[in-house]
Amino acid sequence: MNYPTTATSRVDAAEERRPANGKPSLRRRPAVLIAAAFVLFSAGAGLQYALAIWLGSATTFSRDAQLAISFGAEAIWFLLAGFALSFIGRGYRPLEHLAASLAFGVATFFLLRALKPPSFSYDRFLASTGELVVWALCASAASWLLAMWGASFGMLIGANGHVDPRIRYEWEIARTHLRLNRRSARILLLAGALPPLALWWGGELAASWDQMRRASAAAVAPALHVTPKQLLLVAAAVVIVLALILRFVKARAELARLHPGQRRKRPATVVMTGISIAGVSVGVWALTVVLSVMSGFEADLKRKILGTNSHALLMKYSTDFSEWKSILPKVSAVPGVAGVSPFILNEVILSHGQTVTGAELKGIDPATAGSVSDLPKQVIAGDLHWIAAPQDIPGTDRVVEPKGEASQKLGGPDYDQYLEDTLKRRQLHPEETKKLDPEALRNLGGVCIGKEMSHQLRAWVGDVVNVLTPLGEMTPTGPVPRSRPFRVACILYSGMYEYDSKFVYIGIPEAQRFFRMGDNIVGLELKFVDVDAARALGRRVVATLGGFPYRTKDWAELNRNLFSALKLEKLAMAIILTFIVLVACFNILSTLIMLVLEKTKEISILKSMGARDASVMKIFVVEGLTIGTVGTAMGLLMGLASCSFIEKFGLQLDPDVYYISNLPVNVDGGQFLMVAAISLALSYLATLYPATKASRLSPVDGLREE
Amino acid sequence: MAPLVEARGLHKSYWLGEKEIHVLRGASFALGAGEMASLVGPSGVGKSTFLHVIGTLDPPTEGQVLFDGRDAFGMTEEELASFRNRSVGFVFQFHYLLPEFTALQNASMPGLINRLSREQAEAQAREMLEIVGLSQRLEHKPGELSGGEQQRVALARALVLKPRLLLADEPTGNLDEATGEGIHQLLVELNQRLGIAAIVVTHNPRLAERMPRRLRLSEGLVVDA
Repeated sequence: MNYPTTATSRVDAAEERRPANGKPSLRRRPAVLIAAAFVLFSAGAGLQYALAIWLGSATTFSRDAQLAISFGAEAIWFLLAGFALSFIGRGYRPLEHLAASLAFGVATFFLLRALKPPSFSYDRFLASTGELVVWALCASAASWLLAMWGASFGMLIGANGHVDPRIRYEWEIARTHLRLNRRSARILLLAGALPPLALWWGGELAASWDQMRRASAAAVAPALHVTPKQLLLVAAAVVIVLALILRFVKARAELARLHPGQRRKRPATVVMTGISIAGVSVGVWALTVVLSVMSGFEADLKRKILGTNSHALLMKYSTDFSEWKSILPKVSAVPGVAGVSPFILNEVILSHGQTVTGAELKGIDPATAGSVSDLPKQVIAGDLHWIAAPQDIPGTDRVVEPKGEASQKLGGPDYDQYLEDTLKRRQLHPEETKKLDPEALRNLGGVCIGKEMSHQLRAWVGDVVNVLTPLGEMTPTGPVPRSRPFRVACILYSGMYEYDSKFVYIGIPEAQRFFRMGDNIVGLELKFVDVDAARALGRRVVATLGGFPYRTKDWAELNRNLFSALKLEKLAMAIILTFIVLVACFNILSTLIMLVLEKTKEISILKSMGARDASVMKIFVVEGLTIGTVGTAMGLLMGLASCSFIEKFGLQLDPDVYYISNLPVNVDGGQFLMVAAISLALSYLATLYPATKASRLSPVDGLREE
Repeated sequence: MAPLVEARGLHKSYWLGEKEIHVLRGASFALGAGEMASLVGPSGVGKSTFLHVIGTLDPPTEGQVLFDGRDAFGMTEEELASFRNRSVGFVFQFHYLLPEFTALQNASMPGLINRLSREQAEAQAREMLEIVGLSQRLEHKPGELSGGEQQRVALARALVLKPRLLLADEPTGNLDEATGEGIHQLLVELNQRLGIAAIVVTHNPRLAERMPRRLRLSEGLVVDA
C-alpha cells in the first residue's frame, strides 16, 4: 500500500483523543499537574533554604560545602519530584513541567527580592535586579531539566501504568543497533585503552630519562644507566606496537582477498556512533585535564600561602594585647585548634651595604611557629632557632651551605656561583662586619630573610643587615627613624615570590624592644585541624574568649582576592568546557535521530509484537547512554593519563612569571566523578527527544512504507 | 457462538494534502474462533489497512473492533500492547525479521517482550520452529535462510505465544509458486492443529479458493465471496 506518510499526523491526533477508558488520570487535566509540580518545586526551594540555614548554624562546614550540600539536596528533590510527577500524570509531560518551572522561576524572583538572602558571589546582599533575574532563570531551568530527568526515568520504569524496570531484550536490540559485538567491543577497548597507556608510558619514560640524565650529569663518566623497569616498559611497548602492526597488516590482507561485492556493508549510523563516542571522550578529556591543572594551581597556591601563613589570626580592637600569655592556654584548649603562636607585624626598611629594600617584619616565637605554619621547613640555610639564640650564628669566615630538599631544587651552577661570590665579597670587603667588635657582633639579634631578599640584599647567613623603622624617636629636629643591626640567622624559601622577597622574621622579645611595645603583641596565629572550617572555628575561638574586643580573620579572608579570582576562573572554565561536552551530546542526539529513522520499520514490527512505548524508549535511551558511557570512560582514562603525563614529564613554566617550575596537576577523584556525572546526565538528556519520538511512532508508520 | 473478532462499521480515511481518501466505508464482518478466511481484492483497495485495523495497529476513523465482545480501541496503550503481544500474530509480505538475530532469537522475541525468561521463551520458540519445520535452522540468521524459510520463521514468531488470531498480509506474495504453496499448506495445517483463527490476504485465487471462508474487500466494504 502506498499511502503518503505525511497523512499520519491526523491519525495520531485521533489516537490522542482516544478516551483513557475511565481510568483515573490527569492526562487531560494539565492544570492539576502544573499546580502539583509547582508545589513540589517550591517545597524543594524551601528545603534548600532551610538546609543552608541549618548547616550554617549547626555545623562547621565551609560556605562552599554548605551551598553544595543544600543545592545537592534540592537537585535530588527536583529529580524525585519529576519522578513522582510522571506517576501522577501517567507519563512524561515536558510541557506541563515547563509551565510549572516558569511559574517557579517567577516566584523565585519575587521571593529572592523579598528575602534578600546573601549573594553567592560576594558577602553582600542580592541587590541588583539583573542578578535576581539570572538566579530566577537558573532556578527555572534547573527545576525543569531535573524534573525532566526524573520524569523521563519514571516513564521508562513504567509511569504509564505498567511498572517494568527490566531492559533485557531492549538491551539486545540496542546492541545490534550499535553493532556492539565481541569484535567491536575489542576495537573499542583497544581504542580506549591504548592512547592513555601510551601517554602514561610516555610520562614514565620521560621521567626515567630525566633521572638518567641527572644521574649521568652527576657521575664523572656519563654512563648509560638503564633500570629493569625502563627496559620492561620499552620492551612491552615494542611488543604491543609490533603485534598491532601485524594484526593490521593481516586484516588488510584479509580484506584484499575479499571479492569487491563481498565487502562488509557499514551503515552511516555506525560511523556516526563512533564519531559521537569520540566527541564525548574529547569533551570529557578536555574538561578533566583543564580542571586538574587549575586545581593544581589552586592547591599549589594554597599550600604556599598556608606554608607561610597560619589558618587564622586572632586580633583585638585595641593596641593593648598584653594579656596574651594568659589567654594562650584558653585558645589552645578550644576543640579544633591545633596550634597557637604569637606574632608582631610591622613595616620596616632593610639595608645591607648600599642595597635597601622595604619589608614586612614579623616577630615570631621560633619555638611555637612550627605549630601554626611550615616556617621551620622552609629554612634552606641556617636555623630558625638562631633568631632566639644569635650567639650560635656562625661568623662570616665561612659560608653556611644550603640544606634540605628545597635547596636541591635551587641547586645548580647559578646558585653555587652565588655562594662563591658571597665568600669572595666578604673577603674583599671585610670592613662590613669589622665595624663592630666580635663580642657585640655575637650578641646582635638574629633575623631570617627570604631567598629573594637574600639575593636582593646580597646577604647570606652571618651577614649583618640594618633594620630601620620609620616610627622613631622624636628629637628637637623632628622624628628620626630608629635603626638596629641584626645578623642573618637563616634563609627561607616558601616558593611564593611575594613572601620570599618581603617577609623577614625576628624573635618576639627583639620585636617588642625594637618597636617599644612593652609586653604587647599584635595577635595570635591559629592553626586548625580543618583548613576549610577556619571561619567557623575562628568564630568559636572568639566566642570562647567572650567576643568583643577579640576578632579573627581566616586565611581565605586574608587572601580573598586571589582565591575568588581562581574560583571564578575555574567555574568559568568548567562552564565553557561543559559546552564541549554539550556539543558532543548533540552528536549523540543526531546519531539517535538517524538511528530512529533507519529503524522505523523495526520499531513498527516490535510494536506489532506488543512492545510497549516505554520499551521502545528504553532501547534508544540505552543506546545513547552506552555511547555516553563509553565516551566518558575513554575521556576519563585519557584525562587521567594526561594528568600523569604532565606530572611525570614536568611541563616547564617560565619561572619569572609563575614562580612554579612545573605545571602543577591535582587529580581529584571528586572532580573526575563530577565530570563523569555531568557527561552522563547530558548524554541521557540527549537521548530523550529521539527516544520519545521513537516510542510515539505508530505501529503502522514503518509497515506502510513498502 | 459469539464471534472471536467482530468489526462494526469501520471507516478509515487518509488525508492526502487537502484531499480525504476513504479506504474503508463502513466495513463490517465477524470471524469465529478457529475460523479461517481468505481476503482478496485488487491492489490498493485497502486490504492491509483493514488487517491493521483488525489487528489494533491502526485505529479506525469511525467504527468499532470487538474482540470477544470487548472494544479493542477502548483499551489503554498498555492493555493494547499486551493484547497485540498475546492475542494477535502478524505475518507480512516481507518477513521483517531482525537481521542481526538468529531464527531462534527472532522467534523468541514475543516471549521476551512478554517478559518470559530466556529459557522459557526459547523453549517455546524451538517448539514452534519445529512445528513449522525449521528445527535444523535454529542458529541461522535471516540472511542465511531462503525466502520460504524466512517466512516460516516469521510465522513461528507470530504464533509462538499461541495467539487466537493470525493476520497474514500476502505471506506468499514474494515467494515462487511452489514455496507459496508450502506456506499455504502450513497455514491451513496450523489452523487445524492449533485452532488459531486466521485471515489470509492473498492475490492467488487458487490459494484463496482452498480456504473454508472467502472474503472480498471492495468499495470499502467486506463481503463474503
